[in-house]
Amino acid sequence: MSDNLKVVENATCTFCGCVCDDMNLTVDVDEHRITKAENACILGKAWFREHGIEQRPFALIDGHEATTEAGVEEAAQILARARFPMIYGLSDTTCEAQRVAVGLADMLGGTIDTTTSVCHGPSGIAFQGVGESTASLGELKNRADMIVFWGGNPAEAHPRLFSRYAVTPKGMYIPNGRKDRTIVLVDVRRTASTPAADIFVQVKPRSDFEVLWALRALVKGRKVDPSIERRTGVSLAVLEDLVARMKRCNYGAFLFGMGLTMNRGRHFNSAALLALATDLNQFTHWVAKPVRGHGNVTGADNVVSWQTGFPFGVNFSRGYPRFNPGEFTTVDVLARGDADAALIIASDPASNFPKPAIEHLKRIPVIVLDPKATLTSRLARVAFTTATYGINVTGTVYRMDDVALTLRPAFPSPYPSDEQVLTAIRDRVRVLLGGNRLPAGAAPIAPAVAAAS
Amino acid sequence: MSLALTLHTVPTVPLEAEVLSPARLAGLSAPEAAKLTVVYGNQRADLGDFFKVGKGADGELHLTGDLARVKRVGMGMAEGRIVVHGSAGMHLGTGMTGGEIVVEGDAGDWVGSEMTGGRITVKGNAGHMVGSATRGSAVGVRGGEILIFGNVGNEAGSGMRRGLIAIGGDSGDFAGVNMLAGTIVVLGRLGWRTGAGMARGSIISMHPAELLPTFAYACTYSPLFLRLCLLHLGRLGLPVARSQVEGRYQRWCGDAVELNRGEVLLLDSAPGA
Repeated sequence: MSDNLKVVENATCTFCGCVCDDMNLTVDVDEHRITKAENACILGKAWFREHGIEQRPFALIDGHEATTEAGVEEAAQILARARFPMIYGLSDTTCEAQRVAVGLADMLGGTIDTTTSVCHGPSGIAFQGVGESTASLGELKNRADMIVFWGGNPAEAHPRLFSRYAVTPKGMYIPNGRKDRTIVLVDVRRTASTPAADIFVQVKPRSDFEVLWALRALVKGRKVDPSIERRTGVSLAVLEDLVARMKRCNYGAFLFGMGLTMNRGRHFNSAALLALATDLNQFTHWVAKPVRGHGNVTGADNVVSWQTGFPFGVNFSRGYPRFNPGEFTTVDVLARGDADAALIIASDPASNFPKPAIEHLKRIPVIVLDPKATLTSRLARVAFTTATYGINVTGTVYRMDDVALTLRPAFPSPYPSDEQVLTAIRDRVRVLLGGNRLPAGAAPIAPAVAAAS
Repeated sequence: MSLALTLHTVPTVPLEAEVLSPARLAGLSAPEAAKLTVVYGNQRADLGDFFKVGKGADGELHLTGDLARVKRVGMGMAEGRIVVHGSAGMHLGTGMTGGEIVVEGDAGDWVGSEMTGGRITVKGNAGHMVGSATRGSAVGVRGGEILIFGNVGNEAGSGMRRGLIAIGGDSGDFAGVNMLAGTIVVLGRLGWRTGAGMARGSIISMHPAELLPTFAYACTYSPLFLRLCLLHLGRLGLPVARSQVEGRYQRWCGDAVELNRGEVLLLDSAPGA
């Protein structure tokens, strides 16, 4: 360790959707690494420790070292030639980079999708269908006296969610902190989060929808048959007790995870929970929030929504945005073999997508932007090394409750940011295409009009 | 006059060809039809780049080839007849108001979504969202008939308002979800969570099924409308058995979290029924 240390106060950790903004980072300026991350959880500590400056080539084209500029040229050529380019990832980069990616998709007449489509995408569909009763995490901290965690394990996945917002902190109307709150955990198995709960409801795998539907019926005063226990593993008495507590509390909140969205039923599971929150508003105030994984996946939803009107799975083939999960979401597009090029930003689909989708990625030219070498960067035609957001790059990220935060980077990186690379690709594509691609559905410009302009 | 079109170049990325509709092709010569615009990925192309346009003899539009990546065939059509000798891609007959589409092979997702009239027959299997509402829309099929001889995926008839969907094989999960009215007949097995959130409407299956806790058993009877409905489906070629036409059905009411005026009818397999 050198003596050239500096402290960055109130830095932001971009590891998970909590995006804790109270990090005090001790930075070894000469060695380009963070030696201490005060206030960080175990995940945040690892995040800051592992992101030093690695000696990697600026770009790889077909596995050969290249400059960023050469990579940009190759990437732009690939994208300008493509008829169905897929842009995917975006949840671990800044909103500024996401904005450029949406513009690029628009210019290309391509399809843009984020990692939301494989995590809380079903919730996105449910929001559209059912609506969302929502709140910021600060509001939960200050007001919520009953919190139901459904299908998640925050103790291991979002460690500071418990201590900063949802379980132990004292709030304006929660003067005694933990003692004033009723914590319920619904999951298919016991996890590290279970001991934090007053009530643990263990449901049989893939029966969340039935449990939620029974709760909805009980909230509405309908009868539910005791056979619900055989189907779901939860007795009617437990459900009735839960409903009584839910109606009795002053302010309740559901915080739901991928255990709900990614099991059988998908968006209907999310929709059932959102509908339950809506039903409960007949009696007392309830909100429902998805617990988001990646640091800026909420920003991806916000930016794509702000620019296209839809949160993910948006296609520009006809010159205007179209939203259709299943048709324009990445796994489906790749598994059907529809895409003829892919631009992957800050994501590693080759490590977690279904096999047919990965097989198709191997068949088409892939462009990857990532600070690290990944399985996806290894199969890429063009792989850029970029700087890490939040550590080397400033910008805006959104916390899981849609609160925007500005990043305070710890030390500079020799590598360009995602935004810089994407901007260079976009500018080069614009030259190659001569502007935005003419909308495919639009009538051709009449020669007289073209001449006049 | 109508035309016969044969796929000579299989598209490698999705091809959106809503021009493949009787009204759009009516009265066109083969060269004129070949110049019609289709959307091939993010660029425009001519119909003739993919299809050999011949002459039709019987007043119908005949499409031949593997059209699995050709979307929007017969979209919004109001009259006439399309026969697909092969498979069809997504959004087949979406929003159609009249006429008939027959697919000899399989069909993709969103067959006949939000249609208001006419008939679609698929001899093979169909994907998800058969006769459904599009995302963000509360109402699906408002009229017409969809017949799938094989199996279908999830969410068949979601948000359906009126009309008839008949499935010869099995259905996936959430058949008739958020249904407002109309009829869905599944001769095979139902998936999970049939009729979740349905307000009104009828869902019929010939096999036992575990229903949501918000559905309540009412009675076992022989509904007259179902006899007529099944005889109609039998005439259209679906394998309806006599025992099904004359059978007794358990009536389950639901969905109690909504209006509770819907029904799921399950063929009663009890001996002597």
